[in-house]
Amino acid sequence: MNAVLRAPSYLGIGLVWLYRLTLGALFPTTCKYHPSCSEYAVQSLRKHGLVRGSALAGWRLLRCNPWSRGGVDPVR
Amino acid sequence: MIVAALPILGQLETVMRHVLDWFHSTLGLSWAWSIVATTVVVRMILVPLTVKQIHSMQNLQRFAPQMKEIQKKYKQDKQKQNEELMKFYRENNINPAASCLPMLFQFPVFIALYYALRHFNQHPPGGQLAIAHHDFAWLHFVPSIIVPTTSFWGGYVLLVVYVGSQMASTLYMSATVDKMQRTLFMIMPVVFVFVIAHFPAGLVLYWVTTNLWTVGQGLITRRLIPKTPLPTLERRSSRTPPKNESPPEEAASEPRDEKPAKPQQPRQVRRKKRAGRR
Repeated sequence: MNAVLRAPSYLGIGLVWLYRLTLGALFPTTCKYHPSCSEYAVQSLRKHGLVRGSALAGWRLLRCNPWSRGGVDPVR
Repeated sequence: MIVAALPILGQLETVMRHVLDWFHSTLGLSWAWSIVATTVVVRMILVPLTVKQIHSMQNLQRFAPQMKEIQKKYKQDKQKQNEELMKFYRENNINPAASCLPMLFQFPVFIALYYALRHFNQHPPGGQLAIAHHDFAWLHFVPSIIVPTTSFWGGYVLLVVYVGSQMASTLYMSATVDKMQRTLFMIMPVVFVFVIAHFPAGLVLYWVTTNLWTVGQGLITRRLIPKTPLPTLERRSSRTPPKNESPPEEAASEPRDEKPAKPQQPRQVRRKKRAGRR
């Protein structure tokens, strides 16, 4: 992706890091997936940009519930 | 703050204020007890999720020896270690206990409470008169839940209770078997107490309540539903042969056939575990 197009995704990555340093550290849990939800979010934002990346990360968070199976689930 | 500008957060704050006000005006609870009541309601909604989590956590503990084995094997490569663990989960039909969604559900509540308390601090309902009447006090040692926790001596008590309750809830809820991670989670509240000290005391009250709920729920679920029938059955079967002299039945003969193999398996695992500790 072109650097200009990629710029908005850094906003999302920044927000993920903000979460990791604040709320994520206050509510410790380990994710049932690998990579973890926040890592998945960063990777999908890098790969797919802000809009698609955020959507994928959101879908992943919804899948990360007590009834799902978990497991290895990389960004496609 | 940028976050405050987001319209959703503003709405969340309004909802939270209405909820607190309902507990305060309609049920006649003090503001502090309204926070406790709100927390309890939130946790009650989450009960099905957490019960499921506790069950899968107990299931997970059955496989702890094998999982430690994997962790030891891939000590150098954390990434590989995680992948192998996930593979192990899949092979053994384990549903990992932790998941992001129930935790995520608590964020908006927490953030809304933060903003609601901040709003109360700027515009206290009932005005200065309410403050003079100790409307925001709690249990005689917290004079006001809308001011930063460290602005009165009772706040330090509250913070100590918070650290204790957080550690206790980690003991009950942390899903990981990884020792280092567990230690990290135990140290975390001690570090975060410095951040939390600047929050309004009501927020710390929320935290203490939710932690104590976690501990209580953990205790009750463990007692009521022994969800680890498999290892006890195995252990019984390995112990029973010398005592058991009853005539073989059709149903009982099947597990007995497995008996000679079973006593050896746990012993092997134990030896490996001991070797790892040295």
